[in-house]
Amino acid sequence: MSHMKPELDQAAMAKAFFGSQHPLFNAFGIDVVAVVDARAEMTMPFSETLADGHRALHRGTLVTLLDTTCGLAIFSALRSLRPIATIDLRVDYLRAIPAGSGLRAVVECIGWTDSVAFVSGRGYAVGDKMPLATVTGSFAIDTLGPAFDTTDRSAA
Amino acid sequence: MTGLVRPIPDCTEAAMVLVPAVPFHRFLGVREEVVEGETRYLMDFCENHVGNPLIRTFHGGVLASFGEVVAATHLARSLARVELPACSTLTFDYLRPAFAGTICAVPHIGRAGRRITTVSVQLRVENKLVCIGRFLFPVGRGSLGGSACPAVGT
Repeated sequence: MSHMKPELDQAAMAKAFFGSQHPLFNAFGIDVVAVVDARAEMTMPFSETLADGHRALHRGTLVTLLDTTCGLAIFSALRSLRPIATIDLRVDYLRAIPAGSGLRAVVECIGWTDSVAFVSGRGYAVGDKMPLATVTGSFAIDTLGPAFDTTDRSAA
Repeated sequence: MTGLVRPIPDCTEAAMVLVPAVPFHRFLGVREEVVEGETRYLMDFCENHVGNPLIRTFHGGVLASFGEVVAATHLARSLARVELPACSTLTFDYLRPAFAGTICAVPHIGRAGRRITTVSVQLRVENKLVCIGRFLFPVGRGSLGGSACPAVGT
């Protein structure tokens, strides 16, 4: 993707925000796989501390990964890190998360207005093509607080 | 056996950890209190719950997860089941920012049908309504249990 510099910048920006600075993403081990053209893909590894009691990742981790990937897809669509917030989220669980498996989320920002962005995506077990869950949601744009790439965090 | 729901103790004012056998419940820090015979489900903010670190709000996924754990626990208790049911669909409305604090969840069984039971959960911070979640649980024969609905194609 070396010929697509804006997208590289976008990915670097996203990694800076979704990297080790963020306690939740850090605890989950969330990694940005790709972010381009209003689409985002993120993964997280299996972790005993986030398991469901059946040695599989808890479904709550899948919801959290999907919600996070929705946000990244919107940042990509808007080409900025303006503050956004989930206003509506729907997750359909198609099947159980396999034991010991990491998770992968792929989300597209389908469209947006001045105030709301709409997303749709799927969650997978790492290395599996059959979806575990689908997600649809809407997010408010320009919500409370400064942009995520702001340097002046005193405004927070 | 993991995933067991402990029975509500007879004594009031008792606090205990909810379903301690589930690691993710410990990550969330879900706890419950029985006050005057009524169970309250609570979650205290910690750094690992943060969604927007600039304004210190709960992550949307953490809120939805908490709601789902409460809905499943409430349903299991109402059915006198010892294993947590798995919902097939969750729908979550975020009504206002959930700032760092203690979240209180109030579950309600909307309808207990033969095939599907709908549980709604209100999340409140300092008695302000911040989220409403709706969870659909298939409760027909063989559908309750620790995993989601039967695997497709397996």
